[in-house]
Amino acid sequence: MSLLAVKAVMQRELSKTFRQRGRLLSSMVRPLIWLLVIGSGVGSMLSGTQQEGYLQFLVPGIVAMTLLFAALLSALTLVYDKEFGVMRMMMIAPIAHGWIVVAKLIAATIIAMVQAIMLLVILFAIGLLEWQAALLLLPPAFLTALLCAAMGGLIAVWSKTLDNFAVIMNFVIFPVFFLSGALYPVTQLPDLLRYVVLINPFSYGVDLLKHSIPGSQTDFSVVTDLSVLIGFTIAAILIACWRFSRESVHEPLFRGGKKG
Amino acid sequence: MASEFAIQSHGLTKQYGQAVVVNGLDLQVKAGECYGLLGPNGAGKSTTIHMLTTMTSPTSGEAFITGQSVTGNPVHIRSLVGLVFQDSALDRTMTVDENLKFAAALYGLNKQRASERIDELLAVFNLEKKRHLKLLALSGGQRRAVDIARGVLHKPQVLFLDEPTIGLDLPNRRAIWRFVEQLRREQGMTVFLTTHYLEEAVACDQVDFIQQGKLQKGGKPNSLIRDLAAFILEIDCADSESVAAQLTPEFGAPLIEDQHLSFRVQDADIDFSALQRSLGDTVNAMQWRRPNLNDVYLWTMTHHKAGVQ
Repeated sequence: MSLLAVKAVMQRELSKTFRQRGRLLSSMVRPLIWLLVIGSGVGSMLSGTQQEGYLQFLVPGIVAMTLLFAALLSALTLVYDKEFGVMRMMMIAPIAHGWIVVAKLIAATIIAMVQAIMLLVILFAIGLLEWQAALLLLPPAFLTALLCAAMGGLIAVWSKTLDNFAVIMNFVIFPVFFLSGALYPVTQLPDLLRYVVLINPFSYGVDLLKHSIPGSQTDFSVVTDLSVLIGFTIAAILIACWRFSRESVHEPLFRGGKKG
Repeated sequence: MASEFAIQSHGLTKQYGQAVVVNGLDLQVKAGECYGLLGPNGAGKSTTIHMLTTMTSPTSGEAFITGQSVTGNPVHIRSLVGLVFQDSALDRTMTVDENLKFAAALYGLNKQRASERIDELLAVFNLEKKRHLKLLALSGGQRRAVDIARGVLHKPQVLFLDEPTIGLDLPNRRAIWRFVEQLRREQGMTVFLTTHYLEEAVACDQVDFIQQGKLQKGGKPNSLIRDLAAFILEIDCADSESVAAQLTPEFGAPLIEDQHLSFRVQDADIDFSALQRSLGDTVNAMQWRRPNLNDVYLWTMTHHKAGVQ
């Protein structure tokens, strides 16, 4: 019964997301603007070969950015469903409440992967990526998507309202992205910021993606990247499930009725 | 463990901080019965339902659904119960069909079984043609019907209805009650409901009144009505105090609302015309009628307040 229910929660998320084709297409705008505008802008300050190298350097970072935004925003549906009351339909069903989180995070991962694949196709089409490299990017992209979904889930289970979530997103999503090595090499950062990069799990996703592009400058070993990604993701999912199973999280939903 | 009681609780209590929302509730509802928990806003009705359906845990006391503790295996308990919330739990951005299929899958119904059950339920509520419309396109009554259909998709043994007809017009209310009656008749479903429309609770096998989290008085609705009085005498008068003083020795203390007095008359053979003549010009209007559950509720709650004060 739990498996069917998990599948149902996932399918609902996926069908709701993929029926909004405009949202899917617009999700490509942000990374392409970053790549073409920021990439070209910063690149113009560099000399010829460095310029081309910077665009190549940005590719894994921009893929990681797509995964981060897509997965984190998809995790927002946990808060959305709580706020609009739909969560109660899932909570009264005969499944352990932790499974709802798992289903939502799997759906967020799939949504992020679909967006990343769309981006990879565009990057291949405009000649910024070889198809072999695009294929090599998929496994690390999946692990990074799962990590981002888990991070989003962790934030969502602590958010009471959508407003609250938006604030956290602004304080989390941009620092996480900017201090990950996605836009510039970590080694060139001041010491303090470099330490922040080291404790940012997303940095290891970006780094693993870089490993898939031949000749890319990386900051950590593949083993370190995999260990941090897998370890943090498992821990985050377990904590999110534990937190979501606590009654205090849902108290506002069930504290009496509207009137009774 | 089989039990003759579909719902049982002993000393069921819920406390939020210092506030005791439900206070030592002892309930016994037999399988197949329709039970009504009636009370004013904030009395603890919804909290009681949420404890019985595992949505919130009791601070103390215990509760059982078909003999199984609600705190022992909440996931299993949720497969036995259906809950229709006071306000809709459906996704307004999805169609009726999508909502019901989603709910069916949550209960582990396979596609074919879900589809058959949805057909059946939509037919009961005449909603077949609305199946592929978004919830937003439906009227309040239709949305409520879909909510109830969601609650009974999996044929629960115990159905909890929290104010199921609130805000609905009479035809929709009647349609919903007909459906609930059908569920009981055909499936032997136990129904636990709360409602503000007390006339609807007359159909219950048993009702209890709840005030400030405590059960007050309960029984079979018709017995409660019969025990209250033979008639309710209502008098509008300018000087309610003197009329009350005049009639209290004969009928007992009245309910007083401004210039309106209500007396319980136990004597079924009373001559109201003679009484009216004896009161003369001191009253503006006088009428008598058979009591109903609203009267039982008002008298019970007023006595409780008097007791509290």
